Amino acid sequence: MNDTTAESLDTLIQLQDVDCLLREMRDPEMSSQEEKLGFAVEGISNLERTRERLASQVEDRLLQTYERMSRRFFRVIVPVNGRVCSGCRISLPTNSIGRNSEGATYEFCENCGRILYRR
Amino acid sequence: MSPTTLSPTVEIPLLRQHLRKALFISELRSKRKSSVLEEMVAVLATADVTRHPEGVLDAVRRREALGSTGLGKGIAVPHARSTLITERSMVIARSSKGIDFGSPDGIPTNLCFLIVAPPLEKDPVYLNLVAEIVRAVRLAKTRQRILEAPDFGTVRRTLIEAANE
Repeated sequence: MNDTTAESLDTLIQLQDVDCLLREMRDPEMSSQEEKLGFAVEGISNLERTRERLASQVEDRLLQTYERMSRRFFRVIVPVNGRVCSGCRISLPTNSIGRNSEGATYEFCENCGRILYRR
Repeated sequence: MSPTTLSPTVEIPLLRQHLRKALFISELRSKRKSSVLEEMVAVLATADVTRHPEGVLDAVRRREALGSTGLGKGIAVPHARSTLITERSMVIARSSKGIDFGSPDGIPTNLCFLIVAPPLEKDPVYLNLVAEIVRAVRLAKTRQRILEAPDFGTVRRTLIEAANE
């Protein structure tokens, strides 16, 4: 994995974490649970701006893949445990490699298509 | 502090499962909230809970930016879910001098519980663990015993007893 790939994947991981937090805060049940416990929850618009900023830093094709798959999966980017995709729990026979125009490569699970990262 | 339970039916000893000596900081070196979070996330890396502490720290800080997780009475429970975490974990840290966590009552935080978890779709355990912590430290005598505990074993016993009360 080259530097560009690693950087883009790092940004995409941050984007996924922001999406997770946004879902929680927009979920009436979860945000209500947070407030019941005594936690302040505000400033979601700032989080939305963070999401926009991060999305603008991810290369287009990778972002499109992420956005498309996030309609299907809660987690699009998942760690590989040994040779097992932690998204679908299937052992990876070989890694499917996606390549962009600059030669950056990403690993995808051949079974579920999720984007993989190595711990 | 606000109401302390999410579901009265949850009896799983969550706290017990998440108490690890390797994730205990007896006395924080840091004095400011930002560096406290950094110090606590660094422990996660040392204990091999994550190999990417910077990314986890980003997630914790983003949650904190939505509103302080300082609950008052000297307690803070920062929490976040991160792709870079593969197992739900909790770091416990003490600060005898106290940290300004932006708690509603303005009291400096002496006890900090950092909870991190992977972003699983259905994970009620995550917030239930947060709730269990909040419930366990609701009494001043419990908080005092934790602060004065000579070692992690005593902290552990105190929390388990308080959670079962």
